[in-house]
Amino acid sequence: MVVDYEDQDNMVRSNAMKFGVPALRFVSASRTLPGPEDAARLIKPIMDGLTRPLTDKEKEPGKYRPQNQRVIFEGTMDEAEAFFAQTQIVKHPLMNVPISLYTDGLPIVLPTEERVAKMLKGTSHKPDELMTFRADTRSGQKGDDVVFLPKLRTSTVERVAVNAVMAGCKPEHLPVVLAIAESGVGVGTTVFFSQWACVSGPIVKEIGMNTGVGMIGPGSPVNSAIGRTYQLMAINIGGAVPGINRMNSIGSPFNVAGVCFGENAEGLPAGWKGLNEEHGFKKTESVVLAGQATGGIYGAQFSPGGYRSLQRSGHGGMARRAGVKGTPGPHNWLEYLIPSLWAGREGGFIFIMVPEMAKHLYDLGFKTKDEVYKWLYEKSKVPLSEYRNRSWPDESSNGWLGIEGTSGKHWKELADDYMVPMMSSPSQNCIIVAGGQEEVSIQIGGGRYIPSPHELDRWGATAYSVDAWR
Amino acid sequence: MAEKYKFLSPLGIEDEVDTVPLAPRLTSLDGKTIHFSITGEPDLTIFLERQLKASYPQVNWTSKKSYTPTPVRLTEEERKTTDAVILAVSW
Repeated sequence: MVVDYEDQDNMVRSNAMKFGVPALRFVSASRTLPGPEDAARLIKPIMDGLTRPLTDKEKEPGKYRPQNQRVIFEGTMDEAEAFFAQTQIVKHPLMNVPISLYTDGLPIVLPTEERVAKMLKGTSHKPDELMTFRADTRSGQKGDDVVFLPKLRTSTVERVAVNAVMAGCKPEHLPVVLAIAESGVGVGTTVFFSQWACVSGPIVKEIGMNTGVGMIGPGSPVNSAIGRTYQLMAINIGGAVPGINRMNSIGSPFNVAGVCFGENAEGLPAGWKGLNEEHGFKKTESVVLAGQATGGIYGAQFSPGGYRSLQRSGHGGMARRAGVKGTPGPHNWLEYLIPSLWAGREGGFIFIMVPEMAKHLYDLGFKTKDEVYKWLYEKSKVPLSEYRNRSWPDESSNGWLGIEGTSGKHWKELADDYMVPMMSSPSQNCIIVAGGQEEVSIQIGGGRYIPSPHELDRWGATAYSVDAWR
Repeated sequence: MAEKYKFLSPLGIEDEVDTVPLAPRLTSLDGKTIHFSITGEPDLTIFLERQLKASYPQVNWTSKKSYTPTPVRLTEEERKTTDAVILAVSW
């Protein structure tokens, strides 16, 4: 017997089928009743589920036969438009609303066999090649099949290309799309799960990605098409459907039309590595950092004018808070963010900042990104007495029964004044230089994952080679 | 007459799955071993465990606890001696 939440019944049914037990019995806990009252309510149906004789249907073995045909539709363009625009009604927990079967809700470029063949000219990989990992990752070893959640599916190169056609990509975009596909494009949990991708290396310029003003916003046919493919792959290859197995309660604006942008490598201060070099690749190699962030999106904590006043002359509120009134910069603007960064959520952040703001940190003495990451790590620490009063650590500490990472001791052995960092390693933080000239930074929660025995983060952004998919 | 085309599938590939019947239900609770696999939500599961044990003292209750959504697996030996499993809360 399984106890779920009633709005997640569809997800339980979907997973039960996938694991071969379609008749799995389950009952639903209440989201609102006090524990003792709900426990009393649940006991009878739970025990009934264990003892009530099986129905004939529950005794039947069977077979789940998914449709894996290569050609999904034959007909005219008009007929195909209607086919790909089909919807299904998701009654609950949606409110009887139509959800698109094959798209993100918007019209697509129809994936004719000819268009897909043209798209496949963007890679040397064979159309029928299964998507496998190009390197060891947390999700699998090099050569293992990439498994796409939530329906635990696999994919060929061709099926990725089909989604790229549908999203409006050009053949030269395909290696980036294939590298994003290598991430498995997971759609995550019930929380604020935001998918994003940032491309680093020569391919950024080769394909004309926007790395400047509004690079996360609309307008670029390259950024937008690749970002949209990320979403279409989650829907089509992964099989994610809101209310059935994609259960982000509110959703995320990042996932509406997809987010992909380029790193501004020329905006990096001297000595700061690009994302490619940070992840063990050469400057001449291209990578994509595929992010599956859970930790929210923050930004615009200060006015750009106030920022300029701080750095140019030591004037304004930021200077008063920093105690540097009247002293020209460079000043550490990250100090201004510290009180709010980990106010509600632990973990590393992706700090997207414009070149000028990166230069100020460099001029201040942070000669590498790693120095910034270490500074952030130290600044994030709070006494254990304070850390205990946070929400997520009840789960991440396994009910305070687990081991605290930095000390190697049981949580309950540590003194109240033991200083606990908000992330398992400095490298969970990640700086991306991009954007325009107006002094703005945004921070994407959920951090970054770099393979390490000490790395605990389940979702952080991970780098994949683009060149491996050329 | 409008030209006809073939349109390729954007969907991922799923393996066929052999579906199995549910395990036979318990005809009696006396002396049976029922495992309670606890996954988080302690404000409910603490009371659920307590009330299950109080209401069905004839059952040999076992439990394993995780505060995450991932259950602690039973060993092969434990599986052989367990008659039924309750998993709560799946989220």
